[in-house]
Amino acid sequence: MHTSKRSIIHAVRSGAVMSALAGLALAGLPDSAAAKEAKFEKVPMTTEGSAGPTPWERYKGWNKATWDTYNSLTERKRTPPPPGEGQVRKIATPIEGNAENGKKLAFDRSRGGGCLACHVMGPETAELPGNVGVDLSEVGAAGHDDTYLFNYIWDPRAYNPESVMPPWGAHGFYTEEEVRDMVAFLKTLKTPAVFKNALDDPEKRPIPVEDRDWQDPFVNPAAEAFDTGKDVFAKAGANGKSCASCHEDANALKGWAVGMPKWHAGMKKVIGIEEFVARHAKATMDTDMLMQSADNITLSVYLRSLSNGMPIKVDTESKQAKAIMKEAETLMTTKVGQLNFACVDCHSPEKGALKWIRGQYLGESAGQIPHFPVWRTSRNETWDIRKRLQWCNVQVRANELPPDAPEYGVLEYYLTAQSNGMEMESPGIRH
Amino acid sequence: MSKARIRLPSTAKKGEVIEIKSLVNHAMESGQRKDSAGNPIPRKIINKMTCSFNGKEVMNATLHPGISANPYISFFVKVEESGTFEFAWTEDDGNVIKETAQITVG
Repeated sequence: MHTSKRSIIHAVRSGAVMSALAGLALAGLPDSAAAKEAKFEKVPMTTEGSAGPTPWERYKGWNKATWDTYNSLTERKRTPPPPGEGQVRKIATPIEGNAENGKKLAFDRSRGGGCLACHVMGPETAELPGNVGVDLSEVGAAGHDDTYLFNYIWDPRAYNPESVMPPWGAHGFYTEEEVRDMVAFLKTLKTPAVFKNALDDPEKRPIPVEDRDWQDPFVNPAAEAFDTGKDVFAKAGANGKSCASCHEDANALKGWAVGMPKWHAGMKKVIGIEEFVARHAKATMDTDMLMQSADNITLSVYLRSLSNGMPIKVDTESKQAKAIMKEAETLMTTKVGQLNFACVDCHSPEKGALKWIRGQYLGESAGQIPHFPVWRTSRNETWDIRKRLQWCNVQVRANELPPDAPEYGVLEYYLTAQSNGMEMESPGIRH
Repeated sequence: MSKARIRLPSTAKKGEVIEIKSLVNHAMESGQRKDSAGNPIPRKIINKMTCSFNGKEVMNATLHPGISANPYISFFVKVEESGTFEFAWTEDDGNVIKETAQITVG
């Protein structure tokens, strides 16, 4: 089957009898989605090589560290296995650590995030604690023994295999000495938190609403692409051709973006708009419009904007779509990085989503795609979904993948399917 | 390359104070940065912006290297008559980016 598909692509490229081959390609395919897929494969694309910069190098200004001993989305067997239930680290008790130092560590954001990112911790809690984890304000009066407190910080999976809390000791964020100090601090926590400001209470903090006028370039710099995208569309490539040479009326592409990304059987991967732009530009204009380049992002925003207001509609019914969704579920639940987070740990409402991680509200994975690419006010850049996924990886201290990695394609497909029916609103603006 | 945007009301009453918003695409390269090879990237900023109404200057601004890319400047003008606003942004190399906008007063 693979051989026959490959030969079809080859034949089409070399200009063989297309209609007969199209009939042949469709013969064995049961549904219309498969027919669309066959059509997608006929679009000229340079299928060889990377669609992004090679070799891949992390963006300037990002964390430079690498985490080669922990899982990434491709290397999924690196992270050391979790302890079995009840398999606790034996420590000398009672713990008499330095509570003052423990407090300092718990409140310090610079290493790993600090306990306050997820927990309220008593009356001295600094501003904007999170509520992904339980309120620890009275943990010192809850009757936990020292071994339990120590191990819950060292590696909570010894007690709760489902815990989303990072194994702070087992993954090398804190030394045994430091964890003992934190336990000493926890033991001092015996009174409920008092918040000086209502906004500091994560249970009462208002959920952020994004209501800026994302279509106004005065508000959202990414919206410049409504105009600059037209320029890129008309700009001649290395062979003298521009997008407009073949696509005379850009408006004919209205509605195209809401059906992306798509599975490409020839390349055996999901192709999103940005990767498509890179491969299509290379094939038709002999031009490098690599993923993450300014032109690529500008054009991708522009192409999406042509479908603004139309409902997102990616195939979820075909056999291939179901296979992608299944693979996505594996990726969404794969623990990656030194912090040991899976996507679902922070972005499914059953776990961390719709709660606060420090001052930031964790969105759920559903409903994110319509506003991508997005202007990030905190970064002063337009980011496509692939860069956002890379950022997620680096934030949980996992090695990111190149932007055209098949795994990101699968995740993009899944996230887009989760936004099916929602109207395209590209480009958005967010923190 | 540089694209300027102007926003102002198309009509106003005589003597009304209107707000003009301007946004120009520009890297505002400060001269303080270095490229990947460690060589300084030469300064290239917009150092001056002016706005005239019917030939008479109504606003000017001196811009410095600390101003971010894509400078956004808004200001207020009292309009007494219909006419044309002319905007000009001058780059370090002397290049001038120009834009105009009309207003009808009555």
